[in-house]
Amino acid sequence: MSLLEISGLSAAYGAVAALSGLDLAVEEGEIVTLLGANGAGKSTTLRCISGLLAPTAGDIRFAGTAIAGLHPERVVRLGIAHVPEGRRVFPGLTVRENILLGASNRHSTRAARARDAEEMFALFPDLVRFADTRGWMLSGGQQQMVALARGLMARPRLLLLDEPSLGLAPLIVQQVFRIIARIRETGTTVLLVEQNARIALGVADRGYVLETGRLVVAGKPEALWNNEDVRAAYLGGKRLSEESRT
Amino acid sequence: MTIILQLLFTGIGIGAVYALVALGFVLIYRATNVVNFAQGQFAMLGGYCMVITTVDLGLPYWLGVVISLVVMALFGALFNLGVYYPLRHRSFLPVVISTIGASILITNLVLALYGPEPTTLPGMTDYPGISFGAVFLDAQYLVIIATTLALVILQYFFFEHTMVGKKMQAVSQDKEMASLLGINVTGMIMLTFTYSAVLGGIAGILVAPILFVSVGLGAQIALKAFAASIIGGFGDVPGAIVGGLLIGVAETLGAFYISVPYKDAFAFILLFAFLLIRPQGIFGEKIAQKA
Ligand SMILES: Nc1ncnc2c1ncn2[C@@H]1O[C@H](COP(=O)(O)OP(=O)(O)O)[C@@H](O)[C@H]1O
Ligand SMILES: [Mg+2]
Repeated sequence: MSLLEISGLSAAYGAVAALSGLDLAVEEGEIVTLLGANGAGKSTTLRCISGLLAPTAGDIRFAGTAIAGLHPERVVRLGIAHVPEGRRVFPGLTVRENILLGASNRHSTRAARARDAEEMFALFPDLVRFADTRGWMLSGGQQQMVALARGLMARPRLLLLDEPSLGLAPLIVQQVFRIIARIRETGTTVLLVEQNARIALGVADRGYVLETGRLVVAGKPEALWNNEDVRAAYLGGKRLSEESRT
Repeated sequence: MTIILQLLFTGIGIGAVYALVALGFVLIYRATNVVNFAQGQFAMLGGYCMVITTVDLGLPYWLGVVISLVVMALFGALFNLGVYYPLRHRSFLPVVISTIGASILITNLVLALYGPEPTTLPGMTDYPGISFGAVFLDAQYLVIIATTLALVILQYFFFEHTMVGKKMQAVSQDKEMASLLGINVTGMIMLTFTYSAVLGGIAGILVAPILFVSVGLGAQIALKAFAASIIGGFGDVPGAIVGGLLIGVAETLGAFYISVPYKDAFAFILLFAFLLIRPQGIFGEKIAQKA
């Protein structure tokens, strides 16, 4: 049994279909990446898993339990943490408060939470100086670190990451991905959504490529990287994202 | 000089009541992004709870206060379930209309039960007050100022130093993200309504011995409190407090030096002045940065 099993997943925003019949599986301990151009349905897939969006059809199983349509508060208690697109750090709360709130999915004492937060500051030493800084004052890279630390505070079995590299300087992106590799070493399974295929395939064990809500190809990173269709789709995706940025 | 001090004392006392109701506006606005136009009615209900328990039923004053606060807490929870919750996924306008409807309903229910004649509530203590030279500090005003101060400190401690307070702040800043972390968003909003109703109730209990208890009490306070929250920078907690005090002082000074019949106008003159000169309110800039 896979840790996460998705079959025939469809989702829509109003009348607009965003996903049509997606099949996907993540094994315990893996880093799996979900690639695709802007608008392919990557974020929608994560939103369906974490409960932000109720699918219109299909099945999502986490460690054997059917979770499609469950409320996000329930899903995170089962052990799935979602670090959404745009980091969503609480702007009016400090870095430490943001991180502490990450443990809201489980019952823990104040002392245990504080200990876990210290562990996060050890994993992200750059954040120590900003522990009492409010979220809105942080740079994009710092916000991404806070979002990751807050997600890890849930002690998830499965971590969903949505475009952690978006808008970050190359050096910071490398730093973030080193941490993602370390997260897996501690036994956390990762489903990683990226537009930056090169760096995502660099850490992933397997990858899926989405195009307009459908799966086009899946496989090992080397195979995907050498696949002509994928490179075309990926380059197209890159062009798209660059256009949208200018 | 003494007369100025006397007026300032009175102004701060009545301003503290506006501040409490303004806080209710702000807390609900921050949690739900909706203005609750029944906030003043919470104050009126608090006043009537006191009249029913202490005057009609003859219960001791302290017991009346306890019962009134419990009733207000239950009422706040009920208000959340009946007025806000069913419309929580709708836009601003339907919810605002729903709160206006609730406010009209509450007013008319009280009117049907109690009639249009104002009633009086005795003060919390028979002790008249303290004289400082020529300045007389009336006991009820002292109670108002002390209670408000204590509430503001307690609330600050709650929001800044407890996990539930942090969760409530998180919900007011990003509900979707809060729910992803496992925070009970519905519960936090329920708590906000409950607390705001209690705050409004306390304002009503405190002000009832000074003003008459009548069906018009809610609207009278709510308008000033609403102006106070705009002056403070809508959505800002310290702003609501400062705005309430400013309006209380302005109308007291205005009534004494300019015109008693136009007392109620001074709050709105101050509001217009702010809207012209500093429309974002006293603490408005900070919010723009936060957003
Ligand atoms: N909130 C929304 N309302 C309407 N359509 C949306 C919304 N979010 C995404 N979509 C549409 O759903 C499709 C998939 O979007 P998304 O999952 O965000 O793509 P990706 O994350 O791969 O860039 C796109 O066509 C997008 O325009
Ligand atoms: Mg996306």
